[in-house]
Amino acid sequence: MSVAKKKMKIPGGGWGSVKHFVILGVMALELFPFYMMLQISTKDNKQFVESPFLPNSVGEWQWDNYANAFRVISPYILNTVFVTVLTVAISLTFAVCGAYFFARHKLAGSGILWIVFLMLMMMPGIANIVTLYNILMNLNLLNSLWALIIVGVSGGQAIQLFILRNFIEDLPRDLFEAAEIDGASHLRQIIHVVFPLCRPIIGSLAILMFISEWNEFLLPLIVLRDHELYTLGVGLVNMEEGAAIREWGKSMAAYVVASLPLIVLFLFTMKLFVRGLAAGAIKG
Amino acid sequence: MGGPTAVLPVSNLGCGRIYGRTANRPIHAANPGRRTMRRFRKERTNAVLYLFIFPSLLTVLIFSYFPVANAIFHSFFIWNGNDYREYIGLGNFLRLFSDETFRKSFVTVGILLLANLLKMWPSIFLAVFIHRVQHDGWRYFYRSLVVLPMLVPHVVVLFVWKFIYDPNYGPLNAILDWTGIKSVLSFLSDLFNWNVFFPDLPIAWLTTPELILPALIFWGFPWVGNVIGILVYLSGLEAIDKSIYESAEIDGAGPFRVFYFIELPLILTQIRIMLILMVINTFKNYGFFYLALDQNGGPAGAGMVPSLWMFNRAFYAGQFGYACAIGMALFGLILFLTWINNKYLRVDK
Repeated sequence: MSVAKKKMKIPGGGWGSVKHFVILGVMALELFPFYMMLQISTKDNKQFVESPFLPNSVGEWQWDNYANAFRVISPYILNTVFVTVLTVAISLTFAVCGAYFFARHKLAGSGILWIVFLMLMMMPGIANIVTLYNILMNLNLLNSLWALIIVGVSGGQAIQLFILRNFIEDLPRDLFEAAEIDGASHLRQIIHVVFPLCRPIIGSLAILMFISEWNEFLLPLIVLRDHELYTLGVGLVNMEEGAAIREWGKSMAAYVVASLPLIVLFLFTMKLFVRGLAAGAIKG
Repeated sequence: MGGPTAVLPVSNLGCGRIYGRTANRPIHAANPGRRTMRRFRKERTNAVLYLFIFPSLLTVLIFSYFPVANAIFHSFFIWNGNDYREYIGLGNFLRLFSDETFRKSFVTVGILLLANLLKMWPSIFLAVFIHRVQHDGWRYFYRSLVVLPMLVPHVVVLFVWKFIYDPNYGPLNAILDWTGIKSVLSFLSDLFNWNVFFPDLPIAWLTTPELILPALIFWGFPWVGNVIGILVYLSGLEAIDKSIYESAEIDGAGPFRVFYFIELPLILTQIRIMLILMVINTFKNYGFFYLALDQNGGPAGAGMVPSLWMFNRAFYAGQFGYACAIGMALFGLILFLTWINNKYLRVDK
């Protein structure tokens, strides 16, 4: 035990500083597009042509690029926040309830039902979009944000149920038995036992789903018609089409603004995310 | 699991009862008999519990399962997406074989798949490099740095890269010009009769048919934007027992041997997972091609892939039945590849 606790150095020999150069070099290349995005967002077309690669001094920055971007992008962001938050909340609620069902009690048919959900994880979902559009049309859900929410919920169930079921099965049975003896209904058991103990994994799942829903643009592209309903993905696509003369600064500013919500989310949840991913990867 | 009741970290739900193993409970405590409890528990368990799986099941059946079943059904029809259906049996599937665009798109996606196989490696190498950094502080910093690409929405990354490829304003052409690589390319183009690089014309990466595939393959350089992949590899590397490294050092193994004989085999599970995810995504993904090029796969359809063709046939040609058949073909292919992945890339520890 003491041997493992001692700090072990991984052999790298004289390559020590090379590693740093390589990592920093690769990351510089990887982040170069974002650097370009940031520095162009402060320029208008004239400044961009004059100095495409180097940032200007703050005094010369075109702030109305950002004013314009906020004006155009904010409604999209609001729509996207609405859709994403609801999708995550509803999806996890369904998933926790469902996982509780599978994890705690072996009822008739639970084996078959589990296979139903398991198969979902295998399905690549490629042919979905065509018939999904058709179903949404028949349910009168086209051109509605709720279509995005419900489809998002449905898509997340498979993985979330799988992971949550494993987690709940690992919880000590005594806690549940104790609560049951106390006369707690299943709902109370979930609220008082499952939720508090599964908080980290629920948090990680929530973040992962948030990011994935935030990036979604195909379904919104097909489903949404009204400009007021556009989510971020569609809004940005829509912004690109049209103008005869490309205003690079304005476009880049819009991209930066579009990235802000995710950055904010990350700042608040960074630790949870990295820890949760690592734990999930090892466990899975 | 014996032990005192005090160990259980759960509230008493405000009921004031004493719970725990029967042996720990005082005999005269006001607890109902065991048999009554068991029967009571069973009755309540059955009915209500099914309610908990109901919302999940319903959503999944309607919006995940039914569309697939519906697609399988309609792949045997000519369908306009609405009311008109005409049964044609295997007609759609036979058409797949004679469809020139479809066959070409398969070749394209095959090439891109091989390219993506190669593009997996920079992430693996970067993870190994970061893992081997001695200093804890730096390692934590690099680990956070690697996460940065995930902060930007995919659509934004796509458009920024589209800007990079812009013939007149994009950095790529500017750099090629400035470093003189463009002159070399023009020379080679003249020599081999490629007819794509000209010294005085800006290189139109996304509008020249011959250049589309190279442009798509180079896209995303240096290919370490797959943050989840890197984090998965890192956690796999961290799970490697340090004593293995120690014995390798004693044996005198250099950094490359350590990678090839120790690290690579031990993260094979993680690589396998990312591999199958990559394969599935390569076949599934048409949004990227739709945005980077257009619904026809760009100039002369050089960037057409099967999934985009499916999208195109459904939403631009109104041939929903045929699109379903294309979808089925892709679905079958992906299932087949997943099966191969599970069967032949077995990792025995």
